Amino acid sequence: MKETVITIRRKKIELVTFLICIAVALGLNVYAIVRYDTPWSELYTELLWVVVWGCGIYVLWSLGRLAFWGVYRLFRKRPGTVGRI
Amino acid sequence: MEKKEPISRREFLKDMCFVAGGSLLATCPWFSAFAQEKETAREKGRVAVIGTGSRGRYHLRHLMNDPKAEVVAICDDYQPSIDEALKIAPKAKVYKDYRKLLENKDIDGVVIATPLHVHRMMVTDAFAAGKHVMCEKSITKTLEDTLAVYKAYQRSGRVFFVGQQRLFDPRYIKAMTLIEQGEFGPIEGIKTYWYRNNDWRRKVPSPELERKINWRLYRDYSLGMMTELACHQIQVGSWALKALPNTIMGSGSIVHWKDGREVYDNVSVLYVYDNGIKMSFDSIISNKFYGLEEQILGNKGTVEPEKGKYYYETIPPATGMMQLLHEVETGLFSSIPFAGPSWVPETANENKGEYLLGEKPKEDGSRILLEAFVESCITGKQPEGLVEEAYYATTLSILGDQAMVEGRILTYPDEYKIDYLNHRAPAPVAEVQG
Repeated sequence: MKETVITIRRKKIELVTFLICIAVALGLNVYAIVRYDTPWSELYTELLWVVVWGCGIYVLWSLGRLAFWGVYRLFRKRPGTVGRI
Repeated sequence: MEKKEPISRREFLKDMCFVAGGSLLATCPWFSAFAQEKETAREKGRVAVIGTGSRGRYHLRHLMNDPKAEVVAICDDYQPSIDEALKIAPKAKVYKDYRKLLENKDIDGVVIATPLHVHRMMVTDAFAAGKHVMCEKSITKTLEDTLAVYKAYQRSGRVFFVGQQRLFDPRYIKAMTLIEQGEFGPIEGIKTYWYRNNDWRRKVPSPELERKINWRLYRDYSLGMMTELACHQIQVGSWALKALPNTIMGSGSIVHWKDGREVYDNVSVLYVYDNGIKMSFDSIISNKFYGLEEQILGNKGTVEPEKGKYYYETIPPATGMMQLLHEVETGLFSSIPFAGPSWVPETANENKGEYLLGEKPKEDGSRILLEAFVESCITGKQPEGLVEEAYYATTLSILGDQAMVEGRILTYPDEYKIDYLNHRAPAPVAEVQG
């Protein structure tokens, strides 16, 4: 097993991604309040659910990214393999 | 395991005042029995128990635990019952003849827990002897006897209690308070039912004791489920609706327990009030799935006092987030034929109701009913409304049975009406001047 390094850049990207997910969840809450005509107090009473949704979206987004980069790596031509017979 | 200690009377009354929001006497005028609770703190009511079968002993235990009650005597003509009762009240004087017991001047009041067919005789004799009386429900098994007992009570100037313990049950008091406050809107109907799954028989040591012990099963002694079960539940109707029905119909049969009994094991009775509201009573004693309940149905909500719960008609919808999630989830899975929705957020909003007293019910009103009786034995004051509630519970049970036996729709007979709620006693016939 080899050592791995999480760069500051990666940490920043993940933090920003997570905050975006929370913001999306918050937006969904606002959308749901308007759509189902429920009380605006749900903006703060449902904060726990917003966080749960935010985490859920982050997990889904992460899985999507993993899948994308996995497939990408699979089909990317490895350097040095060209012309080797 | 936590031991359940009964709360003290003073605590109970305090709780009830809180439960009824200061309107305890308006909802339950019979609580006036405790009006002089403080003044009588050092006094005792001297009582005797006539009939020491299972119910009599149940009362005896409560009386022995009541610091204001002194159990002077017990009476029964069945020795095994006396032996059991003496284990509870070892110092009580034993009588085999209730008339001898009534001659005892040291007794203020008697608790009568005998078979139904002897209630009239015992109650009227007790009044004649100057005793206060608490009689188990029903009052009697005929309309004539019930009216005779009521008139004997009126003439006697003594206190009369009947074992309608729901009148002292905190769950019912809270329910009636909420109904009176209009919390559930106008009451549109009442459905009562009592389901059991047993033959209602008791073991008989020898065949000649069959009718003495299993008296509930024979028409000479009882009207079965109507006088033993319905009597409790029907009374809830007059309390909740503040009215009495005038039309009675029903159907009864022996369906399951064809063992020589004479009373029905399967009954359905309907009471119709003048404004069209109906109260039903159903009982089957070969299926217990639904147990017993009185469902009081209002326009805005339902009360189930036996369960100790109430339910509003409209419940708050699920939160926006939950509704959105539900819609996404339903949309996602409804197109997959083999995979139904794994969970549905609405189930979280299923109308589970609220407890009337904020918790599961702890005890019924039997103990407080007896304590109120002992209190009235001390003060000599009759609580308002108590006898009238019991009178109509009994007569309506009897009429329910009569409607089933005769197979016709009955109208409440004027001659058995007394002055209570929407009923008026018939004017006395003027003496013919000669």
